[in-house]
Amino acid sequence: MPRLLVGLLLSLLIPGTASRLSAADAPLTYEGDIRPILRTHCFDCHGAEKEKRGKLDLRLRRLMVAGGEGGPAIVPGSPQKSRLLARLTAGEMPPGDKKVPAAEIETIRKWIAAGAPTARPEPDQLPDGLGITPEERSWWSFLPLKRPVVPAHDASQRIRTPIDALLKQAMGDRRLGFSPDADSSTLARRAYLDLLGRPPAPEELAAFVADTASDAWERLIDRLLANPQYGERWGRHWLDIAGYADSEGVTNKDVVRSEAWKFRDYVIRAINANRRFDRFITEQLAGDELLEGSRDKLDAAGVELMTATGFLRMAADGTGSGADGPAARNQVVSDTLKIVSTALMGVSLGCAQCHDHRYDPISQDDYYRIRAVFEPALNPAAWKNPGQRKLSLYDDTKKARAALIEAEAKTLEGERNKKRDTYIAQALAKELAGFDEPLRGKLKAAKATADKKRSAEQKALLKKYPKLNVTGGNLYQYNQKHADEIKAFDKRIQAIRSRKPKQEFLRVLMEVPGQVPVTKLFHRGDHRQPRHEVAPGGLTVTAPDGQRLVIEPNDKKRPSTGRRLAWARWLTSGRHPLVGRALANRIWLHHFGRGLVNTPGEFGKMGEKPTHPVLLDWLATEFADSGWDLKRFHRLIMRSTVYRQVSTHSDAFAAADPENIYYWRKPVFRMDAETIRDSILAVNGRLITKFYGPPVPVKEDAVGQIVIGIDKKAASNRPGNDIPLKGEDLRRSVYIQVRRSRPLAMLRTFDAPVMETNCDRRVPSTSASQSLMMMNSKFVLDSSRDFATRLGGTVPAWVTVPDGLTGIATDEQQMTARRVAWAWHLAYNRAPADEELIAAMAFLDDQLDFIKKNPDQQKGNKIPSKVLVLVNLCQALLGSNEFLYID
Amino acid sequence: MTDSPATPLELTSRRQFLNRNALGLGTVALATLLKDENLLATPKDIPRGPRSFDLLPKQTDHAPRAQAMISLFMHGGPSHMDLFDPKPELTRHDGKDYPGNISYSFVKRASKRLLGSPWKFRPRGECGTEMSELVPHIAGVADDICLVRSMHTNINGHESSIWYMNTGRSQPGRPALGSWLTYGLGSEAQDLPAYVVMPDPSGHPVDGVRNWSNGWLPPLFQGTVVRSRQPRILNLQPPKHLVGELQQKNLTFLAALNRRHLERHRGEADLEARIASYELAARMQTSAREALDISQETRATQDLYGIHDNPTREYGTRCLIARRLIERGVRFVQLFLNYQPWDNHSNIRATLPSICRKTDKPSAGLVKDLKQRGLLDQTIVHWGGEIGRLPVIENHGDIKKCGRDHNGQGFSTWFAGGGFKAGIAYGQTDEFGHRSVVDKVSPHDYQATLLHLFGIDHRQLKYLYNAQDQMLTDHKDCRVVRDILV
Repeated sequence: MPRLLVGLLLSLLIPGTASRLSAADAPLTYEGDIRPILRTHCFDCHGAEKEKRGKLDLRLRRLMVAGGEGGPAIVPGSPQKSRLLARLTAGEMPPGDKKVPAAEIETIRKWIAAGAPTARPEPDQLPDGLGITPEERSWWSFLPLKRPVVPAHDASQRIRTPIDALLKQAMGDRRLGFSPDADSSTLARRAYLDLLGRPPAPEELAAFVADTASDAWERLIDRLLANPQYGERWGRHWLDIAGYADSEGVTNKDVVRSEAWKFRDYVIRAINANRRFDRFITEQLAGDELLEGSRDKLDAAGVELMTATGFLRMAADGTGSGADGPAARNQVVSDTLKIVSTALMGVSLGCAQCHDHRYDPISQDDYYRIRAVFEPALNPAAWKNPGQRKLSLYDDTKKARAALIEAEAKTLEGERNKKRDTYIAQALAKELAGFDEPLRGKLKAAKATADKKRSAEQKALLKKYPKLNVTGGNLYQYNQKHADEIKAFDKRIQAIRSRKPKQEFLRVLMEVPGQVPVTKLFHRGDHRQPRHEVAPGGLTVTAPDGQRLVIEPNDKKRPSTGRRLAWARWLTSGRHPLVGRALANRIWLHHFGRGLVNTPGEFGKMGEKPTHPVLLDWLATEFADSGWDLKRFHRLIMRSTVYRQVSTHSDAFAAADPENIYYWRKPVFRMDAETIRDSILAVNGRLITKFYGPPVPVKEDAVGQIVIGIDKKAASNRPGNDIPLKGEDLRRSVYIQVRRSRPLAMLRTFDAPVMETNCDRRVPSTSASQSLMMMNSKFVLDSSRDFATRLGGTVPAWVTVPDGLTGIATDEQQMTARRVAWAWHLAYNRAPADEELIAAMAFLDDQLDFIKKNPDQQKGNKIPSKVLVLVNLCQALLGSNEFLYID
Repeated sequence: MTDSPATPLELTSRRQFLNRNALGLGTVALATLLKDENLLATPKDIPRGPRSFDLLPKQTDHAPRAQAMISLFMHGGPSHMDLFDPKPELTRHDGKDYPGNISYSFVKRASKRLLGSPWKFRPRGECGTEMSELVPHIAGVADDICLVRSMHTNINGHESSIWYMNTGRSQPGRPALGSWLTYGLGSEAQDLPAYVVMPDPSGHPVDGVRNWSNGWLPPLFQGTVVRSRQPRILNLQPPKHLVGELQQKNLTFLAALNRRHLERHRGEADLEARIASYELAARMQTSAREALDISQETRATQDLYGIHDNPTREYGTRCLIARRLIERGVRFVQLFLNYQPWDNHSNIRATLPSICRKTDKPSAGLVKDLKQRGLLDQTIVHWGGEIGRLPVIENHGDIKKCGRDHNGQGFSTWFAGGGFKAGIAYGQTDEFGHRSVVDKVSPHDYQATLLHLFGIDHRQLKYLYNAQDQMLTDHKDCRVVRDILV
């Protein structure tokens, strides 16, 4: 879908978005029209910093008139005399490759010609920096969140929720309305794929269809939300923006993160438990600061809190695998900030790392204020590399038990050593006996002298008779029986040690008490050029003028500084303009396949504007006001008419709104990569529902494709034999190892993210390689066979076919037709239409006929032809749009 | 797909979706048209957020000189002072100590003892560019070659320099040059992948499959690997029991299912695109087989590439296939070698001639063949690696077994065709060949220049990832090296 077009149309159509087009005839002003251009191209040298190049300051109209060393920059009313315009037009300014576009120069010319008006009187005093103008504050995402008024409900217009009311209001008097409700099978399939990431089993569907109670739909949603597969599905969405990966990336080794999966499990558990979302965010930003009591004695709740901080350890990080250094550490810090800001605030702070943001009112100081929030824990000067940030879960009881066991092992070791030394001495004596005096005496003396104290002569002597060098290691060459005895000891010692409680670790982020670094702004983002000190705080633009969040640099009541906790509390206060909008937008995106803002990680001027700003604001306030309750939010959305309507085409509505901007039908969108794989496994009946735990390994196969498997290279460095996976390969995709350098081919081909930093939105693609995968890959071929095997088993009695259809006469044909119908139920959650059944039967016959006429091709193929044709049918169903797209 | 009996499923309106372009051109083209319009009150040159992507040919910023590129990637660091960059001063000082500072990689075996090239150079062709006796065939096409002697990455490591040359930053994870080209230009090939990679049958290059990763660009722009053995292209062919008509019948049935579904969802470009992508996949099966079949070439052509001689057979075959692919509209073909044969740390007197024997004749043959077919004008041939080698010896005890260590400060690369000047040598390293000193060319300059020849302004080719504009040249200062362009 051309989302671009959607964005373009909306800026034209939607009232309330600040479209410049609608204001085409409004007079140009400095604040509204000129400053954004200068901000983008000129302010770096002529405004942002204390020292202005050529003493020219462009931050106010009057300063432009006053000019700099070269004289006035503008002469109001006279473009010809305005030096600024001349230099822009000649391409002399700005220096470098990037020039001001002609259209913008023209805007400046018109403005000067019109007398260079301002929107309001300019201030007499101007503090350093760019400040924030009312125009910049009025950008949609920075406006304070206010709960919009919901129009009166009118049941006759099928308005079930405020969402419907607001969308109906947006439709206005266009010839639009909602499409009819989808039938119950379509609805159930939609809900299962949406909330669980797999289609309903036919029995599950039947139970819903048979439920004629008026609240059947609501109860279905409740059942799905109570199913732990829900957490696997919606946890995956969160893992995308957290940048979850099981490896460190950055360097060629791409070292495995052995504990990352505990964070993944935390996310799934928290989502399933419907953890209040404000709490969920706070735990991930500051779990360590929420912790009551000692980190060394963690109870279950403490472990949970510390695990949550793994969120801040997701950035790619080579500092423990060969890429350490100030630059690498600072890169990890800035990537972490990028993850945090795109995930929670929908803005790209990164732009302000090197200079004031060129488009949005985010200053470089703002960036370092946020950095200061994290620096006590992410401190390049006292860096903890990935190996050092592990928190041991060994508590005192376990430690004591381990010590006891170790003592036991040590005792036995002592016994062994004594015995070993005796045996060595015996062997030596035996060897010495073979020498004659005086040599024997000399050798004996040399052996009796400690290594370091031996004279050169003694050393030479011993070198001459190597067989006197009896050790524990070569004792077996002298006396096999004695050696075996020692070996038996070793086994017993090992057995004792293996009884020690296993030491487990978490990958966490926490401050070192007492270590509070001073955060400094880096000139041009370069860590080698630290400038002034910056205190922790919030983004200026997210609070009313003059009320920027100030964070106490060191909360004396806590062992840590408390900065992250304070910041997290502000983010989740319900008043932060970006957080609520960002979250509501994401939830909407996952339900409808597109966001109300289609750039969910970018709410600034570089992103798209909301298609339905009023609805977005209502959702954002509703989410906070109703207790940050995600499951309640799902219910709210799924109860709406807009969610429940059909996704099919309507000539009348399409004429008025071909892009479905107003949601007159449910958008159709492709399953994401994990849903495709999981659904295929669910349909063929082999999906294993084993929750949580270490990831399912991936490896490179013989032809260089990344597949599920244990990576055990043979001696020749070629891929070794397959090692049995014991069903691990049939687990849900969320459990497959995310190795940055080895994205699983099946998932990556269908747009699963490659985690360089994080993924703020998956962009679905359609490519021939996807089709080839569905046609010829081992996974799909094997799965189709499993599907056919399932069809070959018992077909439920309720799966019947109508009498009297063409080509379905004999008992055998009846049976085959029932299997075909069963396939439809499994793959599509519906019965085949009569003509589909007839066509499928004709397809099977045609194939059988072909195989009969071409027996050579099937030589060596172990699949009987009657099964093979069914396999082919299954493969077609799995590759079809009806299967791959969510209606 | 049209020759099977019609089933009732096909009675739905086939005409209706055939009226639209198979790739949903209607809507996509409109989006493209609107792309340049500054209709939003937001900065103009920022690409809009997520869209769907396709491989349709794209409008370029200016008229392109090149349509396709074949990159003969020479992993390991070809020793420029033994191949393309004669250093009489080095020869004169052979055995003496290098007077300046050297950036070594392997300090333990490092020495300052200069090693004059054991091989002789002489002027070649009418242009007179000096090349070594190790590459007689390449020297034979010197008049078609644009030799750049001032490449540098300033990094000695292999992987880092490869990433730098191939993705614009000396870190892993970013899209490769071929992905960027495919993203920026689309595909001219109707039924072949736009970006093809041909690894060495003996093994992957250093850093493996990441050399052709699309990074965070959509998988649509990933390099397709053409292998020397079956399966030639992954997932291209079904198992034997499905090959041919049987699979065709499956696809016909699948198409019928999809058309019926589309009938309920008229106008959904995504659904139409997927139907088209199955058709493309099926066509690829036939056309790829045809494109990879070099038995259709004359003996004379095969001989140009040395296909009947043992040392050159394998590499020659791949070069010839590369030509057949770009002839059929493939945009970018990159050939790799097993691990990194140019990494001559030791025994350079034996190892360097050996890898030259393997690659010299096929590389030259490719240039000759493209030229005789009139394809060289619009095809860039690139020959080069990621680093060069040091003028001093890497000491392994026995002087006869010595080699040369890594040198990211200066190395040579050559181009032919596609808008590069022919018969010139550009840039210089210092008198010993350690550092680039005159008309230096950085990896970003290299990338900007290649994009320029394809009609793309490197500053305009952007992709929004992580809420930031990403560019192949990574927002770094760089230049189109106009001096070496026609």
